[in-house]
Amino acid sequence: MTVVQLDRIGKSYGGFKAVEEFDLTIHDGEFLVLLGPSGCGKSTTLRMIAGLESISTGLLSIGGAPMNDVEPKDRGVAMVFQNYALYPHKSVYDNMAMALKLQKMPKAEIQKRVGDTAEMLGLTDYLARKPAALSGGQRQRVAIGRAIVRTPKVFLFDEPLSNLDAKLRVKMRMELQELHDRLGVTSVYVTHDQIEAMTLADRIVIMNGGVVAQVGSPREVYDTPADEFVAGFIGSPSMNFIDLRRNGDDGWTSVEGHLALPPLSFDTGQRADLRLGVRPEHIEILDPGADDGIGMTFDAKVLLAELLGADALLNLDVDGIRLLARVSGTEHPVAGDRLRIRFHEAQLHAFDCESGRALERGVPTLVS
Amino acid sequence: MNKRPRIGLYTLVALSVVISFLPIVWLILTSLKNTAGIYAWPPQYWPDPFTFDNYVKIVTESPELLLYVLNSFIVALGCTLLTLTIGGLAGYALSRIKMRWGAVLMVFILAVSMFPPVSLLPSLFQNFLKLGLLNTYSGLIIAHAGLFLPFTVWMLASYFRTLPPEIEEAARMDGMGLMRIFLTIVIPLSWPGFVATGLIVFIFSWNEFPLALVLMTQNAMRTAPVGISLYPGEYAFPWETISTATVIAIIPILVITAIFQKQIVGGLTAGAGK
Amino acid sequence: MMSSLSPLDRRRQQTGLAFVTPTLLVISLILVYPILQSIVLSFGSSSIDGSEPYRFVGLKHYMTLAGDDRFWNSLWVTLTFTALSIPLELILGVGLAVLMNEHFRGKGLARLAVLFPWALPTALNTLMWRWMYNADYGLFNAVALQSGIVERPINWLGDETLAMMSMVIVSVWKTSSFMALIILAGLQSIPRELYEAGRMDGMSKWQEFREITLPLLRGPILVALIVRSMDALRTFELPFNLTDGGPVTATESLSLYAYKVIFDFIEFNYGASIVVVQFLVIFVMSLAYIFTLRNKD
Repeated sequence: MTVVQLDRIGKSYGGFKAVEEFDLTIHDGEFLVLLGPSGCGKSTTLRMIAGLESISTGLLSIGGAPMNDVEPKDRGVAMVFQNYALYPHKSVYDNMAMALKLQKMPKAEIQKRVGDTAEMLGLTDYLARKPAALSGGQRQRVAIGRAIVRTPKVFLFDEPLSNLDAKLRVKMRMELQELHDRLGVTSVYVTHDQIEAMTLADRIVIMNGGVVAQVGSPREVYDTPADEFVAGFIGSPSMNFIDLRRNGDDGWTSVEGHLALPPLSFDTGQRADLRLGVRPEHIEILDPGADDGIGMTFDAKVLLAELLGADALLNLDVDGIRLLARVSGTEHPVAGDRLRIRFHEAQLHAFDCESGRALERGVPTLVS
Repeated sequence: MNKRPRIGLYTLVALSVVISFLPIVWLILTSLKNTAGIYAWPPQYWPDPFTFDNYVKIVTESPELLLYVLNSFIVALGCTLLTLTIGGLAGYALSRIKMRWGAVLMVFILAVSMFPPVSLLPSLFQNFLKLGLLNTYSGLIIAHAGLFLPFTVWMLASYFRTLPPEIEEAARMDGMGLMRIFLTIVIPLSWPGFVATGLIVFIFSWNEFPLALVLMTQNAMRTAPVGISLYPGEYAFPWETISTATVIAIIPILVITAIFQKQIVGGLTAGAGK
Repeated sequence: MMSSLSPLDRRRQQTGLAFVTPTLLVISLILVYPILQSIVLSFGSSSIDGSEPYRFVGLKHYMTLAGDDRFWNSLWVTLTFTALSIPLELILGVGLAVLMNEHFRGKGLARLAVLFPWALPTALNTLMWRWMYNADYGLFNAVALQSGIVERPINWLGDETLAMMSMVIVSVWKTSSFMALIILAGLQSIPRELYEAGRMDGMSKWQEFREITLPLLRGPILVALIVRSMDALRTFELPFNLTDGGPVTATESLSLYAYKVIFDFIEFNYGASIVVVQFLVIFVMSLAYIFTLRNKD
């Protein structure tokens, strides 16, 4: 049972706070992904768990034992680095065996463990080679193998797939998934790639500017983002935002342009303005003549159409507002086309203009 | 594309090469002449007769000139090894360990490296006299190490910074201490940096003059530049001996420079760019 | 702050301190302590072997210094030497660097030729030149007399102006290569695209040099200039071996005069005051060095 407990952990360099009040319990066997843009503090958090950075404030415990002052090697954690960090002058075998040798484990035991791990990762034929003689994928496998042989209580991954090309990244991602299913070891994984996060994670922690913006399952962070940052960060291309102002009929009018919306089912309170969010994939293009008048429908003009392959992106002008819509790539509209589009109320998001916090769904509050 | 600039280019290159080599070539030619040839009028541009007598004479009659070269070798080698060892450790600490005074120390080390050697002499001479370090290899080795440690620390520190820190972090996760990381990971990965730095320090030490002049007062302990410069002539400088001894004393440097040209140039320019 | 340091960081810092200590010890022993001691010596009177106890005499030596014509001469010689050799080295250094940056056959040999003068001991380089300068048997006079350029041998090292010029030439010969190497590294870091863009804009070779090369070489040139200036200000074995400061004192540098005062005249304390002044001159230069480096970042 290895629970990792981060009790209001923080890191500051001089006056600069890299991570603030990180409070989280990572469950036994959980695959937790730290996601965020560069400089958001995700790597620092991981390195504090590893012991490569000291913890300025708060308490870290692994398996119930306090770890703040424990050297990295004694924490029972193993780490996989972005650029593999293999010893270039040592063979694959020696790379994988290093930690065990330093623990003064009997030689026979080391051989067995390294051998088993190498077999599991398909590295048996490469044990005598130097890292330079391996492909990127093989190197990353060695780096993972080096972590596995130590049978750690926690795996730490620092953007392990970022150095691989796109194809290999997908393959390694699946391998990592299988590995985790098989070993069931608590894992913390840092990435800036939301697809990796969505596919691998049991839970995602989204960080921004050193603080946790949201913790939740992949579905939760996509469906109910806690704030505007998360809403904009998750999903590709990112969410359209429209600033709205309450009009006299308790409906809403856009600040720019002249988009008009009926009263919205959010807990808006007495707010005079809010920011509406709608994902590109949630803008429905209506077939000609299919406008049945249900929901919020608008006229739109296609300014630009970009074919991505399976999908196409449409730059739309909707009542003076620019919106991005994602549609199927087959027979998509082209620039200059005039369309009818629809928002579905259940797929809309609303945020407070100042704090950026998401507004709960509820009964529209009528002011007039 | 056009011919004329190429001719101009080659002329300039040839001119630079000739000017650079002229004193050395003239010296070598002098060392291969007999005494009459050296002082002949009209002057001899090519040795006639061509003779190695001067080299034979040095071995048989003035072996102290060879001793100077040996002294230089011992001091330069000792200085290089000492400097690389302790300067490497310091450079590693200053480049990789966040220390409160780390940046200040680096600037301090750079600042003291600019002290003029002659300003150290009154005090160094007195202290070495008191400590019995005058006329000892270890004394001059330490003195040279002091002069060239700042350069070494800066060179190696900047080299270490080019290594990906993750390898050392992985070693730390594997359970290595800092000393072990330095010895088994950093040194094997920094060979080129150590080689370039070591070569330059060796050359610096081989060439150093003021401290070697003052701290080695006994004839038998002198280094090559000093010993040859002070080589006694009866009424004038005995150029046949001086030229020959000088050729012998610069051969090691010529060989080192020729072989390790790339490393030395790389090291020098990296050091100056800091 | 000390108390807030985590044990993890503290252990690392202690090891770091241990790593730095031997270097700091040697530097203190060889560089820092002697400078401080020189300053103390310059304000007192004592004997070399310590048999006579140190006696504080205040500014006495500095007062003597102010009235010492030979000191002022050596300061003047040093500054003249620096002012003459540095610009020449710079021009030749830039020229050599631009030359070495071209592509031609035998570049390895050319590079080696540039490196040699720098790599050889100044003391021995100086001897080689002294031999070539030799009034009776030297190469220069041999060529000059035989070709009929002059009728009587030129006394290269025996005339005050010629001796200074000769010294400058040796220095320029030795150190232009060092300048060239640093500037060459700077040249090679200039992106090729800039020149291609320049060519698209219709720049001539000279305009390329003026508008692209020189401005971007400012940093390396500055570094080379300052390093070389400090070297020139402490020049010692060059006059020591070439002229011994002569004729009379026409080439007696500050370092050489200080050396003579200390070891020939055995005036330790007075000599200390000279080296302190020299140290101050160079220290100001080194501060300038550090500031320029700081500003570069």
